[in-house]
Amino acid sequence: MFKGFPKYLLVLILLFFYNTTAIFAQEIDILIKNGHVIDKKNKIDSKMDVAIANGKILEVATNIPSDSAKKVIDANGMYVTPGLIDIHTHVFVGSEPGFANGFSSVSPDDFTFRSGVTTVVDAGTSGWENFSVFKEQVIDRSQTRVLAFLNIFSRGFSSGTAIEPDLKNIDPRITAEVIRKYSDIIVGTRIGHYSGSDWSPFDQALEAASLSNTILFVECHLPEYTLEDQLNRMRPGDIITHTYENISERMPVVDKQGKVRPFVMEALERGVLFDVGHGGAGFWFNQAVPAFNQGLWPNSFGTDLHRFSMNSGMKDMLNVMSKYLNMGMPIEEVISRASWKAAKSIKREDLGNLSKGSVADIAVIRKRKGNFGFIDAGGGKLEGDQKLEAELTIRAGKIVWDLNGMAAENWEEKESKNKS
Amino acid sequence: MNLFHILKSTSGNVLNLTLTFIIGVMSISIIQAQEIDLLLKGGRVIDPKNNIDSEMDVAIADGKIFRVAANIPANTATKVVDVSGLYVTPGIIDMHVHVFQGTDTDSYIANGPTSVLADAFTFRAGVTTVVDAGSSGWRNFRLFKKQSIDRSQTRILAMLNIAGTGMYGRFEEQNVDDMNPVMTAHMINRLFPDILVGIKASHYWGDFTQVDRAVEAGELADVPVMVDFGEHQPPNSIESLFMEHLRPGDIFTHTFSYGPSNRETVVDENDNVKPFIFEAQKRGIIFDVGHGGGAFTWRQAIPSIEQGFKPNVISTDLHTESMNRGMKDMSNVMSKFLNIGLTLGEVIQRSTWNPANVIQRPDLGHLSVGSEADVAVFNLKKGDFGFVDIRRTKINGSQKLEAELTIRAGDIVWDLNGISRIDWNEEPK
Repeated sequence: MFKGFPKYLLVLILLFFYNTTAIFAQEIDILIKNGHVIDKKNKIDSKMDVAIANGKILEVATNIPSDSAKKVIDANGMYVTPGLIDIHTHVFVGSEPGFANGFSSVSPDDFTFRSGVTTVVDAGTSGWENFSVFKEQVIDRSQTRVLAFLNIFSRGFSSGTAIEPDLKNIDPRITAEVIRKYSDIIVGTRIGHYSGSDWSPFDQALEAASLSNTILFVECHLPEYTLEDQLNRMRPGDIITHTYENISERMPVVDKQGKVRPFVMEALERGVLFDVGHGGAGFWFNQAVPAFNQGLWPNSFGTDLHRFSMNSGMKDMLNVMSKYLNMGMPIEEVISRASWKAAKSIKREDLGNLSKGSVADIAVIRKRKGNFGFIDAGGGKLEGDQKLEAELTIRAGKIVWDLNGMAAENWEEKESKNKS
Repeated sequence: MNLFHILKSTSGNVLNLTLTFIIGVMSISIIQAQEIDLLLKGGRVIDPKNNIDSEMDVAIADGKIFRVAANIPANTATKVVDVSGLYVTPGIIDMHVHVFQGTDTDSYIANGPTSVLADAFTFRAGVTTVVDAGSSGWRNFRLFKKQSIDRSQTRILAMLNIAGTGMYGRFEEQNVDDMNPVMTAHMINRLFPDILVGIKASHYWGDFTQVDRAVEAGELADVPVMVDFGEHQPPNSIESLFMEHLRPGDIFTHTFSYGPSNRETVVDENDNVKPFIFEAQKRGIIFDVGHGGGAFTWRQAIPSIEQGFKPNVISTDLHTESMNRGMKDMSNVMSKFLNIGLTLGEVIQRSTWNPANVIQRPDLGHLSVGSEADVAVFNLKKGDFGFVDIRRTKINGSQKLEAELTIRAGDIVWDLNGISRIDWNEEPK
């Protein structure tokens, strides 16, 4: 049969196949099999396998062969999603009083991986004067990817209460310069905690955002600015947070009759983005539920993680997401707002997806069934029957959280292998 | 017959008596109603010190335990929480943590990035008291106190490192000239007797000198010594440590670690617990789990429990290198022992009353009337769970503790599912 077929060609062909197999077998470091993949960017919402190699996504497809992987993880019955993104945290932790370099901030790694989060955005805890301290002390030392909004106030967010900052130190040009210099980390400008009525800090924050071609993140404690004026000044793509708060210093989005105010819906239609920003006081079911029912859905689930929210009704990112799941938001919408939509909102389209070649930040999430309760800032609770739990978290291809050891070997099998 | 009829149909002394009686009853109800701030109803109380393991109610008033009894009337309490189906225990004590968090990026644990914020891990795992295990020494304890202890909601107690600079780094911990028993004892006895409960010796590369200095300080201060005996090559004898150097009441931590080249193990290569381990425990040596990022293995723990060697104290060795690995949090470490043969009562005892005794703080770790109201309420989940050790090997288990409610000095500091809360629709608008 092979008569006339040059032998060297046969050898070459055999060698070729041998090499391909060998390469393929080594290529996949981790293969997550049988999970329900939700990847909004790539319009995937079905059972698929996810292959990781060299810290990157190698392939997402059905039935990737197990024998081609060094490690196989069975995610049957679980959701496999891009690593979650929390766009509102305060992680410039230090030993000073307050938030900037302070003990009111928290360390990101303490909270992220156990909640499926692989990227956080610090919400302006630092400004152009102290960003380098933040970077050296926290950003460069964290396993979590830490991005940041830069505060328009030069020393960031240095107190726990509304303050009258030193307006002289506001400098949109320097702020924009620092943003451009660290464009791989800083994703926008932040305004908040200003108790004056003069609009110049707000406008200068917008100016810094424009100069650096980034977005404006509008936080809270701006008691002299009306909500309508804030929204009117914001551009499409700018983000307002603490959307569902119900406290005296800002007009709530839902009026006394339970209707979302028309100018809020107009801002939504115009492209202003609404973040949850749960925090200790920023989330009330009497705002969130009517708003949800009337179509004012959050674009992202920023937790506003800090020392005073961590043990309150907030708890962690998956707890905040679970609230929406129980309010009636479909799981794929919940996941997409915690990954792809969050990534797009900070103009980091390299994140929040499982496209081939992107960094392998992945969450494997279980939907627990049972009787659960969820607390808001007013002390009331919402009862629910489902809750999200992080089973496995992968950051740049490394397993950084494994709740039940789904990636671990049985101890007796492994120890007997070691002994033999 | 209503009150009006009573008043109308009685006269003179009878009326006065009746009125006095009625007022009396009303006053008692008012006093009682004000007295109980929080009533935990219908839970199964496990309080090893008081030999309680049955369905009881726990009443809290003015931040203290007011009463533990069956069927305390709900109408006598300002707030009632239904905890039926749940376990009510003393606030958990984690006797081995590192919480001297700080900004010295050159440091390891003392004022450094490897320590963590206590409150971020404690309440969500049912813990109300932690003992920092030697992150600071006498030179830097005051910074630790100012920076972490005084700002914490969690009760932070501490063991002082025998090395003056605490756990600044492995290198500094070798400095015998900085191991000063007198200064260490002075700081414990004269300055901070309410916070400092012991002395730590760890990470030493040499002979028994460090342990002996720590014991000397322990004698002077009348407190226990905790030893992490892990970095000698070849390993020093732990039999000698237990029988010749430590005193009854002193603590051996990282009991179930397996690092045979630099740390002698409690279980030998044939999976047998070494006979002198039982003798040492009988002698009064305290065996602490101290799970950590590198100090808990199934191959040591499982044979130990099977052969009847149980740790005296369950603890985490919480720090950044352990928090996201097999350790996770205190309730996870407690659950491991539940799944390898300890009863729930034994697990609770080893994380409440036992550690309280070991650190000579009999005011903690129980629910006696009058004690500070540090309380944990656990849900014992049933299902398929896995538990990982530091060698990334796992066991499967069927039960897992989850902290539903944590109370610190009478205040609710953690409420996982809002069992203490009303429906949001009933919130005042």
